[in-house]
Amino acid sequence: MPASGEDLSLLEFIVEKVNVGIFVIDSEFRVVVWNRFMESHSGCRTQNIVGQDLFAAFPELRESEKWLRRKIQNIFVLKNGSFTSWEQRPYLFRFRHNRPVTGGVDCMRQNCAFQPIKDKAGEVQYVCVTLFDVTDTSIYQNMLQKTMVSLADASNRDGLTGIYNRRFFEQSLAKEYSRAQRYGHTFSLVLLDLDHFKNVNDVHGHLAGDEVLRETVHRLGGCLRDADILARYGGEEFAAILPETAQNGAMIVAERLRAAVAATPIIFNNQPLAITTSLGITELRADIRRYEDLIKEADLALYASKDSGRNRVTCYTPTLGAEQA
Amino acid sequence: MTIAALNADQTDALQEVVNIAMGQAGDRLARTLDVFVELSVPRIRLVHVSEVIRTVREMISNTSLVSAVRQAFFDELRGEAVVIYDNAGCKDLANLMGYNDELSALEEQELLLDVSNVLVGACVNGVAQQFGADLSFSPPSIIAEKIPLDLVMSPENLSWQYALLVEVNFGLENSDFKSHLLILMAEEGIDTLRGSLDRLMEAI
Repeated sequence: MPASGEDLSLLEFIVEKVNVGIFVIDSEFRVVVWNRFMESHSGCRTQNIVGQDLFAAFPELRESEKWLRRKIQNIFVLKNGSFTSWEQRPYLFRFRHNRPVTGGVDCMRQNCAFQPIKDKAGEVQYVCVTLFDVTDTSIYQNMLQKTMVSLADASNRDGLTGIYNRRFFEQSLAKEYSRAQRYGHTFSLVLLDLDHFKNVNDVHGHLAGDEVLRETVHRLGGCLRDADILARYGGEEFAAILPETAQNGAMIVAERLRAAVAATPIIFNNQPLAITTSLGITELRADIRRYEDLIKEADLALYASKDSGRNRVTCYTPTLGAEQA
Repeated sequence: MTIAALNADQTDALQEVVNIAMGQAGDRLARTLDVFVELSVPRIRLVHVSEVIRTVREMISNTSLVSAVRQAFFDELRGEAVVIYDNAGCKDLANLMGYNDELSALEEQELLLDVSNVLVGACVNGVAQQFGADLSFSPPSIIAEKIPLDLVMSPENLSWQYALLVEVNFGLENSDFKSHLLILMAEEGIDTLRGSLDRLMEAI
């Protein structure tokens, strides 16, 4: 682009005033151009840095010096531009940003473009670096990511009780099943159903029913380890996956769950509601070919608890299945 | 081979231009990276949007997971380049690109972007130089990380009908590094290219 004297001073003015960092270095990494943006953000005056070695002037670049030298050298050899993005490399220079109050990030996020400046013979004489402040973009991106994470979490949870929902439970069971199979580990599955829950709703209303479900979940959660997965399987039915737990251990846990709910009545509107639960347990065995079979077995055991008087725990045995058939 | 959108002379000229460009690119990459770069003979096809995945799969014949980076080029030539990496990735290039041996996940991404930018720049600029053109490039961005090849490009997201596809693959001496460079120019890009080819042939 041929430019007359007046055009040139116009261009100089733009380079100087544009709200983008612009600097130029030669093949010896000496600074040739350093615009106002760079000056005001780095605190390094143009007259002091022009002619200086970039790395000597900015000891903070030492951490990335090997990489940056290589990147710039490649531009001289390949005659091809290059880029950096804040997503991988948050910044080239540690500059303050314009959101000290609302930002939540420590310093200016930067996208950079490195462009070769060639002479008439096509050889690269300088590299021009443009540095864009993308702090705002990074903040929005982080907000978006946080929202995505909480949305993903919300889609795994039951709205009333806050524990995992059936969809997440089935995914977790499938995962635990293949993990246990692969490593020859075991785990147990507990299904739990509230006894005569329909009565609570019919007699005391749905608000009472909701409170019973919430309080039950609260009590169940207190009996489980962090690694256990508690989920609402259906209306008043809950499921717990107990990793690395054999039937004997699961029996103890299930008995604790039963006792925690039955121990004291749940209070709703100053009224005590005596709640009990029926539970069924099964443990992974070599002959189980599908994780769905575990649900079927625990369900059979649960119904055996119901049939034999409720408020108790039953372990699955093959005879339960035979009786059903 | 004749590409429908280009006549026989244009097709020959393009193959010649691409061959020369890739040879030079390989040479320049070898000097930059200080290793011998193995480059395949470039293959050029005109593909319909519905066949692009199948064609790429035939060219790449990789059944494992891949990562991919895209970068746009514009001005006298217009299109996008996609670099596809075998899952082994480009860790072998870390040191050559100025990275430390122990790469964090972010550094691994950045290395992928850096290597792609170098490959795309060398090859696409090589082609542009034959036409005496000076191109601009967008920043590269990662479009796939360790996913099956079929998922890298989904036809329903592509807004063109036909594209010119140039494929070259790269290997490095004594290394598992393998990558495939795809240069794609859609309809408008092909028109521009045709003009450039005609001018080149007139000039000879």
